[in-house]
Amino acid sequence: MPAPLKVVIVGGGTSGWMSAAALVAGLPPGLCEVRLVESDEIGIVGVGEATLPQIKDFNDHIGVDEADFMRQTQATFKLGIEFVDWGFKGSSYIHPFGVHGKPLGGVPFYQYWAKARLNGRVDDLGDYSLPIVASRQNRFAFPSTDEDGLSSNFAYAYHFDAHLYARFLRGFAEARGLRRTEGRIVDVTLKPEDGHIASIRLESGEVIAGDLFIDCSGFRSLLMGQALGVGYEDWTPWLPCDRAYAVPCERAGALTPYTRSTAREAGWQWRIPLQHRTGNGYVYSSRFISDDEAAATLLANLDGEAQGDPRPLRFQAGRRETSWSRNCIAIGLASGFLEPLESTSIYLIQVAITNLLKLLPGRAIDPALVSEFNRLIDVEYGRVRDFLILHYHLNGRDDAPLWRYCREMPVPDSLTSRMALFEHRGHIAKYKDGLFQPPSWLAVFVGQGLLPAGYDPLVDNVPQEHILRELDQFRADVAQTVEAMRDHGGFVADFCAAPANRPLSSRVAS
Amino acid sequence: MRNVVIVGRDAAAWLTALGLKRAFGRQGVNVTVLELPSMVRSADVLVGLPTLEGLHRLLGLDTDDMLAATAGAYALGQQFANWSQARPPFVHAYDTHGAPIHRIDFLQHWLKARSEGMNVPLEEFSLGAAAAKHGRFVVHGDATSGFSKARAGYHLDASAYIRLVRQKAIELGVQRQAGTLGEVVRSDSGIVSVSLAGGEPLAADLFVDASGVDAVLIGKVLEQPLESWSPWFGCDRVLVTSGPKLNPLPAMSRISGFKAGWIGMFPLRDRTPVVAAYDSRRISDAEMLQSASVLCGMRLGDAFVAPCEPGMRSAPWTGNCVAIGEAAVVLEPLDAASLHMIHVGLSHLITLFPVSAEAMLEAEPFNTSMQNHARNLRDFQIVHYRLNGRLDEPFWDRARETPPPPELAAKLDLFAARGAVALYDDETFQEENWASVLIGHGLIPRGYDPQVDTLAPDELIAAFQRMLGFIASTVRDMPSVEAQLELFAPLPSNASF
Repeated sequence: MPAPLKVVIVGGGTSGWMSAAALVAGLPPGLCEVRLVESDEIGIVGVGEATLPQIKDFNDHIGVDEADFMRQTQATFKLGIEFVDWGFKGSSYIHPFGVHGKPLGGVPFYQYWAKARLNGRVDDLGDYSLPIVASRQNRFAFPSTDEDGLSSNFAYAYHFDAHLYARFLRGFAEARGLRRTEGRIVDVTLKPEDGHIASIRLESGEVIAGDLFIDCSGFRSLLMGQALGVGYEDWTPWLPCDRAYAVPCERAGALTPYTRSTAREAGWQWRIPLQHRTGNGYVYSSRFISDDEAAATLLANLDGEAQGDPRPLRFQAGRRETSWSRNCIAIGLASGFLEPLESTSIYLIQVAITNLLKLLPGRAIDPALVSEFNRLIDVEYGRVRDFLILHYHLNGRDDAPLWRYCREMPVPDSLTSRMALFEHRGHIAKYKDGLFQPPSWLAVFVGQGLLPAGYDPLVDNVPQEHILRELDQFRADVAQTVEAMRDHGGFVADFCAAPANRPLSSRVAS
Repeated sequence: MRNVVIVGRDAAAWLTALGLKRAFGRQGVNVTVLELPSMVRSADVLVGLPTLEGLHRLLGLDTDDMLAATAGAYALGQQFANWSQARPPFVHAYDTHGAPIHRIDFLQHWLKARSEGMNVPLEEFSLGAAAAKHGRFVVHGDATSGFSKARAGYHLDASAYIRLVRQKAIELGVQRQAGTLGEVVRSDSGIVSVSLAGGEPLAADLFVDASGVDAVLIGKVLEQPLESWSPWFGCDRVLVTSGPKLNPLPAMSRISGFKAGWIGMFPLRDRTPVVAAYDSRRISDAEMLQSASVLCGMRLGDAFVAPCEPGMRSAPWTGNCVAIGEAAVVLEPLDAASLHMIHVGLSHLITLFPVSAEAMLEAEPFNTSMQNHARNLRDFQIVHYRLNGRLDEPFWDRARETPPPPELAAKLDLFAARGAVALYDDETFQEENWASVLIGHGLIPRGYDPQVDTLAPDELIAAFQRMLGFIASTVRDMPSVEAQLELFAPLPSNASF
């Protein structure tokens, strides 16, 4: 076997430790020699405390025990995201991890729903989604393995403390041979012949050479942006939020199995329920609100008492022009930033890692691998971007200038035509690569008030009484299945209570 | 939508008529075919991919019935011979190769073994290819279904197939008027009415142009230009003829390169259709006809020649007119492309059947998807030319030297680097199909996934041997394609009652 590929990861945090864990545990031993350099002095951003179901594939792939990981990261389950006051004031909808209804005659269920609605039926599309109904009642159960059943037709993700997840993965990776070095990077040396990164130098004077460098240094993009000078594409014309305040607060009330995003005057506020506390933040556009006002708004809208002062964050929506350049791959915030509105930060890290493992280079890097990696990442970022823009653009709010701006701003043509086709006949085009599939687009379109004026003509082949019967039956099945699910708080307490959060009885017993 | 008028002929017109009537007839949609004189010749064959069965389901057709009525035969793949002077023939089977080892794609292990001197061709690890070469049919069981995705495609007599589809469409209530085209009245938003010579003008909400390369509506009336792809395809003529039945019945087609094009045999159960595509500037029609018999090694019947210019109209759906089949996109009669493009067009038209005669917003997603499908399939065909190994023959030298379209160039680069396939939106062929033809035509990747280096050579050899042994023993027990057809789709004269 050839000598191992020397991989140097610059930066800890979620992206650094996910990359490290995947390289040591997701690849055969002996293939790579992985080092990670991070500085305890530099804080990690880690706003991505809410995840998407794909994270479970990642954890499974590298061999993480679910209950153990959840205990150690104060994790709870997540069935979707509730959007409050998006689209219009007073509205609320859930974007679930699952489909609405089940297809009939090869046509999506919602097409039948659309026809029934046009014929005067008044109901809520959410009633046909198991994860939505379960969310409303704060219930949870694992999806069943029975492939045709209703209870297998959804997925779940987690809320967790990103600092603890990074720490968990650090322990996981170090136990499998990863070498971590503490230190601040003061210099990067490029090879004169091809401009590849030769080595990095730490404050201590240590020089670390490598074959492949992974830039997980966050917004600073120490290698990709600074050392290699790869430019940044600005997406703020479409996604104007550029700052946030984050603050945890004490838990209050039932443990919700979903993230909440509440639209505010100049942005939106997140609420992420963990076992030991609730994470909160206000993402806003500095063009439309002052920092002080934003902080005050956040503090005035918490479930329980704030734990400390709000922490400010600054960012710019957009991405590096390329995510892989020469022998350097940027992962996480070093490669781009999209606000955590749809919990995509960790997903985008994961996609970069998965594609890197698939296209893992040898010591001499074939440019065709680089092009393909960049093509795949381009597709993902572009499609997530359009989906986020939809949330801002599709609104009827007249109470604040941000919302007027977003409604009137020009958006990418692909998005305009998606909206037009949905409105025309409920059509949602599928794509091969890209995170958000038709059920996600459906939830946001309908949730934000874009309702189809027509429907798929194939629907007319099914008699109207039959459609109504199917709708009623499905809604009843969902309600009944949810009845049998457990309370989310109780489920978490039994399955994965973090040590300090275990109920007194079980602590006494152990 | 109340009235649909299909102007055209043959497979495109009748499949579309049957498909639309079946999908929307129940709700009162009238479908009328203005049938123009057929361009099908007695020798013609239709070649279907395994996915044709999905189209048949959509149309309410029983594939076994179709095989029986058209002397049809199974084709588990296509063999390519003489596309290079140095390389042996290979089979592109509709199947995968080998099984992953330690979660890593089989191809990567094969590449490593090959780089270390192993000389077993990739296709030896494909159950579908093995069956195709032995004239056998893959009946899946527990043991094979985890290892192989082998499926059969189809060869069908064109005249008999179209006759049957037409009959089903008319039984279902499709109206038919036959004749030559009279007058077409157009407006700013599309077509107002069409009449046959001497007939009444027929108005409709939606018109379908299924007239083949004539493109009587989309091209001649709506003036959508054909974007020519000729630079990538050297052939400008297609000859079709027919020879006697082959014994035993092969389980694949055989496509063979010669100095000025290629010639293919597509076996049926009562004859063997032969199709040749060639460059008439390098070989005359008469010479072609003489050579065909020699190249196929059989006596041939009547021959028919037609021009062929690959290309597509970028807006096959314009206004209230949708082009299906060769009116929209023309490809070479290779890789089962023609029938497949009809299938793709029809299934998209059903999915996007317009909801309003005033605003057909559906045209945009339809056109995007058709362009993607057509270009991806075109690129698959270009591979045969681009990677040819017939040196010092002007036709083939030119084909080798013509730079591929950019998406294909990127695909070839990636495969050459690593044996990985970049798949785009709306691909007809999947990773295993691309790998099969790329490797078969001699594009051997220079690298492979470094993860395979961690596997012990003994483990690799043992795994390879197990797979080869499994294939050999499985193929031995398979029925011949002829026996399988006799069982499920016997020819009418052979029926036992």
